[in-house]
Amino acid sequence: MRDAARTKGSLDDFARSQLLSGYSIAGLLAAELAFADELLCRTRRRLVEELAAAPARRAAADRIEAAEDAGELGAVLGDLLAELRHGGDEPELRRRLLRVLAEMAQLELAALGGARPASQAA
Amino acid sequence: MNDGVAGRADAVLGLMRAAGVAGARARVESLRQMEGGWSRHIYALDIADPERDRELHRYVVRVRPQDSVLDTDLGQEYRIFEALAEEPIPVPAVHGYEGTEDTPFGGPFFIMDRIGGEAPNVWRPRDREALDRDWADRRSIAEDFVAALAAIHSVDLDRIGGIVTRDFRATVGHWRSIYEDVRLVRDPVVEEAFAWLLENEPEPIAPSLVHGDYRIGNCLVDDGHLTGVLDWELASVGDRRFDFGYMSLDYSAGRFVTAGSDRLGAVADQEWFDRRYEEISGLTIDRSVAQTYAVLGALMLFAIMGTGINLYASGKTSDIRTAWSRFVFPGLRRDIATTIGW
Repeated sequence: MRDAARTKGSLDDFARSQLLSGYSIAGLLAAELAFADELLCRTRRRLVEELAAAPARRAAADRIEAAEDAGELGAVLGDLLAELRHGGDEPELRRRLLRVLAEMAQLELAALGGARPASQAA
Repeated sequence: MNDGVAGRADAVLGLMRAAGVAGARARVESLRQMEGGWSRHIYALDIADPERDRELHRYVVRVRPQDSVLDTDLGQEYRIFEALAEEPIPVPAVHGYEGTEDTPFGGPFFIMDRIGGEAPNVWRPRDREALDRDWADRRSIAEDFVAALAAIHSVDLDRIGGIVTRDFRATVGHWRSIYEDVRLVRDPVVEEAFAWLLENEPEPIAPSLVHGDYRIGNCLVDDGHLTGVLDWELASVGDRRFDFGYMSLDYSAGRFVTAGSDRLGAVADQEWFDRRYEEISGLTIDRSVAQTYAVLGALMLFAIMGTGINLYASGKTSDIRTAWSRFVFPGLRRDIATTIGW
């Protein structure tokens, strides 16, 4: 964007598209940063809630609770879901965890689109 | 003309003379890069050819650069355009293909006619409004859009050789492999969706030519009609129901982080589209199977955009649009979750 600001004369199509993308990213990043912590807390809390009913999954719940960022949470949850998928004997737990993912997807999209997700204790 | 442009000018003239569509005294009047996708660079080319006439002849140079987001075969695209020249599908005529990597454009390239029309951008409200007006009025864009797809799916496969052929599991494996190579973090939505696909493999049908990225944004529209179907980079011989599924994503109707059109691909009501497709082609659309392919289409986008994001994160490209595309992912996650029914 600094390069665009320094450009004398009009921008070509490619440069203009870069500038518009940069402008768009700035707004989207701001929206994402504004809700990222809340979404992480909420998703972590919901997952732990669902796992509370499955004592055999206590270790997974602990790892989810300890996950410090979305990347770490995704890896832990990915491993758990793969285990449930291959094991096949806890279909209801798997279904509830996937439901949490669906909720997260909806909230994430709503937040980026401008509507703030409902604030809840993490 | 600087050395870089001069080298490119010589390259295109050489190719066109070899193809017999430019004379010895033809000269490049203009060669400028246009806004294009990530896997292809596009140049607008104007040639004056006094041995032919006094007109300025307009072409497009399509290039697969070395830093292409996807490793797809430009030669296949060229062969598809050649084969479709005799089909009732609006495609530009092509004039020569240079397949070597070391060209002044930075990779293989081919030349095609530059045809009139604009590609609607469904993520832009005014373009969606223009499509709405067509739908409310004469529906000529919608008619051409469905007719072109029916014609694509009806192409005699014996007429187009050398096109990548993939069945369902091979297609799933292809995109999963790319996704896993490029992802920067694990996404359980994506992982579960890939697994779901393998658990929900549709019964196979006879293979067809599949566009692979069929949407109004990959078509040129002029005065209410399709003048060109472009961007055949992802085409294959496979299950035509992929094109229906991909088109049915909210993303394809202009949903980014806010809602787009509620019409199929922002072009037509789904029921109308299905009925017209069946009337024109004699082929049926199974929407439940199309739903499966919608999930696959979303995962394909994760793989493609993930490739671009990876290139940007690693500093291999400075094209900021590749980074911007990560904001498409939330909508695709929502599409996947809703379609599968989590």
